[in-house]
Amino acid sequence: MKPDARRKRRNWAWVLAPLLVIAVSLYGLAYGSVSISLNEIWQVFAGSSLPAHDRIIMDLRLPRVLIGLLVGACLASSGALLQGVMKNPLADPGIIGVSAGGGLAAIITMIVLPQFGYLLPVTAFAGSLCTAMLIYSLAWDKGASPLKIILAGVAINALLGAATNGFMVLFSDRVQSVLPWLSGGLSGKSWYELGFMSPYAIAGLLLSFLAIKPANVLLLGDESAKLLGQKVEVQRFFIILLSALLAGAAVSVAGLIGFVGLVVPHAVRLIIGEDYRYLLPLSMLTGAALVVFADTVARSWFDPIELPVGILLAALGAPFFLYLLKKRRMM
Amino acid sequence: MTAIQTEQLELEMGHFRLDNISASIPKGKITGIVGPNGSGKSTLLKVMTRLLDADKGEVQIEQRPLKDYSTKELARSVSMLPQSKSGLPELTVRELVAYGRSPHKRLFESRMKQEDEAIIDWALEITGTKRHENRMFHTLSGGEQQKARIAMALAQKTDILLLDEPTTYLDIAHQLDVMEMLQKINQEYNLTILMVLHDLQQAAHYCDYLIAMKRGKIVTTGTPEDILSREFFQHVYDIEAKVKFEDGYPVIIPSKTRRLGACDKMVIVTNTSKIKPGNAHLLIERFDRVGKVEEMEGFLGLEVLLTENTKEFEEVTVSTRWESKAAFQAWTRSPAFKEAHSHRGIPDYILDNKISFYEVKIVRNPLPAASGE
Repeated sequence: MKPDARRKRRNWAWVLAPLLVIAVSLYGLAYGSVSISLNEIWQVFAGSSLPAHDRIIMDLRLPRVLIGLLVGACLASSGALLQGVMKNPLADPGIIGVSAGGGLAAIITMIVLPQFGYLLPVTAFAGSLCTAMLIYSLAWDKGASPLKIILAGVAINALLGAATNGFMVLFSDRVQSVLPWLSGGLSGKSWYELGFMSPYAIAGLLLSFLAIKPANVLLLGDESAKLLGQKVEVQRFFIILLSALLAGAAVSVAGLIGFVGLVVPHAVRLIIGEDYRYLLPLSMLTGAALVVFADTVARSWFDPIELPVGILLAALGAPFFLYLLKKRRMM
Repeated sequence: MTAIQTEQLELEMGHFRLDNISASIPKGKITGIVGPNGSGKSTLLKVMTRLLDADKGEVQIEQRPLKDYSTKELARSVSMLPQSKSGLPELTVRELVAYGRSPHKRLFESRMKQEDEAIIDWALEITGTKRHENRMFHTLSGGEQQKARIAMALAQKTDILLLDEPTTYLDIAHQLDVMEMLQKINQEYNLTILMVLHDLQQAAHYCDYLIAMKRGKIVTTGTPEDILSREFFQHVYDIEAKVKFEDGYPVIIPSKTRRLGACDKMVIVTNTSKIKPGNAHLLIERFDRVGKVEEMEGFLGLEVLLTENTKEFEEVTVSTRWESKAAFQAWTRSPAFKEAHSHRGIPDYILDNKISFYEVKIVRNPLPAASGE
């Protein structure tokens, strides 16, 4: 990529990504089992609409779109940060087990301790965090090498998957409530869920801006980063912790949604390069738009069936990822 | 004045080790570390920058113990160019050089101040990479890439610059280009430079001091004129070479080593001893002490063969090859041989001893080449 072309693309991306988020949000508000025109949406916010539309927008669609935006932004920035500090394009909260850890903790909460359901985001976050720490300590040997972290993560991911399945077999009578959550979705999520995830999500997203500079220096490799006066191990540790927070916040509400953290940063990186000053915010915006778009498609295109958005994202994401792989090899 | 002082550094790390390294790197000068592959040169640089921790010993930078430096302070005092440049992201030259300002910024600060921009400009100009500042680093030639990396290290604004084989993989024109540039920076800004070099001619020409290492130890130090000699090459590199200085520039001429291919006739002398079982190693040890054939004129090589399959006795055959009978006889008259054979009896573990002498004609390519080749 030539520097001029890259600069142009970055400028365009700054303009287009926010527009995309707005467009997709409006799409999410407008479409569903009942279509509502933009004009009517405006009336809802102005307080002069039909009560039925007011209820659909304010109680159902608006919180769901907001949750979608947060979940997408969290997953994409979590993936972008992990790929950078691990120097590995495969790093993704879904692949190295950070999401699965949050998932298992959430399932245990739902199945074994349903009376503590309101603690779901806390347990999911704690699960992600514990998994991240476990992976980190398993990979530690006078410093944690990124490759070891990935390998330990893949193994832990498999183990957590087994544990999750085990729980589902043991408590098969209660699995029904858990299934939609497992495949990842925003169905039926409203202000309550938005309320309990947003503090974690927003804190994580804001904190991730602090990671831009360290993540950029880590791109040069551990040795160079150390020679530039960076405390590489400490920084990598905190960035992994931050990714766990972001992934945990997303998992607690939306369940196991894969591929957003993997595909979005990759696609953005191909377009605007590796500099985190651009990569991180643009990944957040793109991830947010992608999840809201996919969720709207999942609930409106297959009406009256509502597909879990995780399934749709995997169906879209996997081929796209393979396309990226193919394209990269040719370069 | 010393910029870096190491005292009795010890490090054991797999194949690499440092063994009692005490060295002082003079301030404002160019010092080169030379020596064969695997002698610990890069390891020493890494210890000086804390990329590796020594098991024992101490490093002082500007008269202050290395361990008292914070990570950032160290990066403001010592910059280093590692050998490998793989794994760099896609960057413009200016973006790469701007990374050199990181040690001077707060943890989360990435915005460049005017002062930073001025230093980046300075580093680009002095390395001659200013004209490439908006090109992608990957599209530069090897030599230009190396200069851009040096510019990044210079942007750290340290007083000490370490370089690990800065000219390896460059063609001769770019090698000289980089070395001239480093010399100029050293002279203009009084920058202390310490670099690992493989090319001894360049090392001798551009460095004020040399440190020669071998197997983790410092073998010798001094100015190039003082230390580069026939003995230096024998000792450090195990090769024969003559060194002449012409106008302060060393000319190193490796001397032709005698090989079998040089002659078509030779003399083989075999000395076969039957030995009581279990004692063969004693004879081999003894031979090691008294041999000294290697330095003889006309010597072509030797083999020591030890039988392992007989029960009653073992047999050691020492077979030496010579250019001529005269060369062998000269050896038997040499002081080393005389000293070895003068006052000693035949050890009682030797049962029998037989010396044979053959004149041999060398037949090259005795087998016809295989068909189809």
